Amino acid sequence: MNAQLTEPKTKPAPAPAGATRHPLAGHALSGAEVVVQVFADEGVEVLFGYSGGAILPVYDAVFRHNATHAGADGREPMPLIVPANEQGAGFMAAGYARASGKVGVAVVTSGPGATNMVTPVRDSMADSIPMVVVCGQVPTGAIGSDAFQEAPISNIMSACAKHVFLVTEPERLEATLRTAFTLARSGRPGPVVVDIPKDVQNAALAFAGEGELPLPGYRARLAAVERGALTDEDCAAFFAALKQARRPLIYAGGGVIAAGAAEALRDFVDAFGLPVTTTLMGLGAFDTTDPLALHMLGMHGTAYANYAVEDCDFLLALGARFDDRVAGLPEAFAPLARFIAQVDIDPAEVGKVKPVQWHHVGPLKRALERLAAYGRAHGVALELGDWHAHVAALKRDHAMNYDRDSALIQPYAVLEEIDRLTGGRAVISTGVGQHQMWAAQYLNFRAPRQWLTSGSMGTMGFGLPAAIGAQFARPDALVIDVDGDASIRMNIGELETVTTYGLPLKVLVLNNVGDGMVRQWQKLFFKGRFMASDKSLHRKDFIKAAEADGFAWARRLERKEDLAATVADFLAFEGPAFLEVMIDPDAGVYPMVGPGASYAQMITGEHIASRSAPVPTDAGPAAMF
Amino acid sequence: MTMSTAMKHTLSILLQNEAGALVRVAGLFAARGHNIDALSVVATDDPAVSRLTLVVHGDDARLAQILSQTRRLVDVLTVEHTATDEAT
Ligand SMILES: Cc1ncc(C[n+]2csc(CCOP(=O)(O)OP(=O)(O)O)c2C)c(N)n1
Ligand SMILES: [Mg+2]
Repeated sequence: MNAQLTEPKTKPAPAPAGATRHPLAGHALSGAEVVVQVFADEGVEVLFGYSGGAILPVYDAVFRHNATHAGADGREPMPLIVPANEQGAGFMAAGYARASGKVGVAVVTSGPGATNMVTPVRDSMADSIPMVVVCGQVPTGAIGSDAFQEAPISNIMSACAKHVFLVTEPERLEATLRTAFTLARSGRPGPVVVDIPKDVQNAALAFAGEGELPLPGYRARLAAVERGALTDEDCAAFFAALKQARRPLIYAGGGVIAAGAAEALRDFVDAFGLPVTTTLMGLGAFDTTDPLALHMLGMHGTAYANYAVEDCDFLLALGARFDDRVAGLPEAFAPLARFIAQVDIDPAEVGKVKPVQWHHVGPLKRALERLAAYGRAHGVALELGDWHAHVAALKRDHAMNYDRDSALIQPYAVLEEIDRLTGGRAVISTGVGQHQMWAAQYLNFRAPRQWLTSGSMGTMGFGLPAAIGAQFARPDALVIDVDGDASIRMNIGELETVTTYGLPLKVLVLNNVGDGMVRQWQKLFFKGRFMASDKSLHRKDFIKAAEADGFAWARRLERKEDLAATVADFLAFEGPAFLEVMIDPDAGVYPMVGPGASYAQMITGEHIASRSAPVPTDAGPAAMF
Repeated sequence: MTMSTAMKHTLSILLQNEAGALVRVAGLFAARGHNIDALSVVATDDPAVSRLTLVVHGDDARLAQILSQTRRLVDVLTVEHTATDEAT
């Protein structure tokens, strides 16, 4: 598939009338300098990456760019943040992108540098996070020769990324790089990998200052989706069904955040009064403290959200994809909903899991604005008093709760205290496991982009580097990594990165001496045989580890009576702070809708009121994941 | 993954002739559990474009899904479902 092309493969983007020529247009730049110049033109303000032979020309160009463009205060315009491991760089770029909505950029070397980047790229793909990852590659002539530090990155990443470019023709480098940014942020966002052989980085090029690859197929489909507008008939059909509904509910996913549609959602709810539940990825898309907010639904959703899903007769899915953590049994999901409407930017998600009665493929913000305008213009007023009262009763009667009298420190209490002190305004990242679910359940999120979690992939080790990236995106925000004792070990090398760059972020480890989430499943489905999930014989002293990496504030909380004061001190500390809390190792995540179970079979545990006795599921462990 | 309702579907895909483009199409089908029964790649009048003809089997829902997923690939220009036959 490498035919020699006779046609020019790049075409300049049509210059808007009166557009100024790029000041460097026509200048002689090396390939590496082109890379850095396109970064600068795209507004990149921070890079994350680790050096190595195959990327040295780009690193040197970054050095020179920063040296010649330093601000009056000596600040570098494009600092390069060096992690302990390239996986850290990838999650930093992802954390930056999630917290800011901008494209995160990572730059790594060939071979092992690039393969260490596979996990963050896949993670970002699965959660639709915009990233551009530049990898060095062995020189063009050496590709395929099993050269030192050669890996088939374009093959490997093809299966994981939104797109991969292997740049073998230097004259296409500039347009390719610019196109990578367009691809990463357009349509359904995602990571784009650009693999650049070392000789291409060293090539002598003339900078054009404009131009992208044509990508006719992608651009045509994108244009069709973006043109997609709701007709009057579409709106009429939507409202005809909504007006029939007595118990309509909105199910909002990460797409609302990616689309910048949170305000439009707020306005839609103000106009028509539909209560809102969100997915794990959608937390913050709607202020969780709102009376109409039901917090998260799904496997570990709130009981009241899941009961509302059981009770609703109309469901509006916004940028949400009915995944197996939400609709484990698609046919039993929202069983009373006579009408399901779905809006998504990705045509492949419409009806993928659950048939829908109405759908629209297009930008979410515009769709919501259009629906709200149509409904208002046609005087749509819904009588939802009974439903609102029902929702309020569900929230009251099935509220989140736990053993408040236990002598052991309950993780939920730690999170409640953090929530009280931050007012639901902190930026939170997490590892993966019970602590992640507790943070999702017990913390409030007043706005989008405050909640950074590895949702689809569920990658342990995400929390710490993502928090670092987020702190670069929002230097003045209070950023807290809520981590697990096992998850944080995966990228614990990044503790040092926190202090190296003097980031004031807070690292909280909820230590239950092992892989709590795994133990919870082993308790439920494997008769409590804690194979490989107990760490009571492990010797790590997290406090010494944090101190060794330069944390001036590093404490262990072991007594319940010290909780409030210690948490307050931790959050108030001006620099990097590390708090390990020895929690009740048996604390569980409730509610729980077992894998492959329906919401009617939800287990609410001992402290959250259930509506009915749980019905045991009949699927054996082999059928579950 | 095997499919119970085994109708054979012929898909015709116009593909930009980029490095790795064929691998991405074949990889997508493999990753989504489709076994490719037959595949041919031919040049077109446009040297930058190849035509892939691909035979898979599966029910309508699976076919619709793989068609949409194929349209998500950046190098893919168009995808058409050109024939349905009884599987043998
Ligand atoms: C990279 C990776 N490996 C394995 C898993 C499977 N896994 C999911 S949760 C979990 C345990 C996490 O333990 P910890 O971080 O201490 O969180 P806890 O559940 O104890 O709060 C494991 C092993 C995973 N999600 N990610
Ligand atoms: Mg743990």
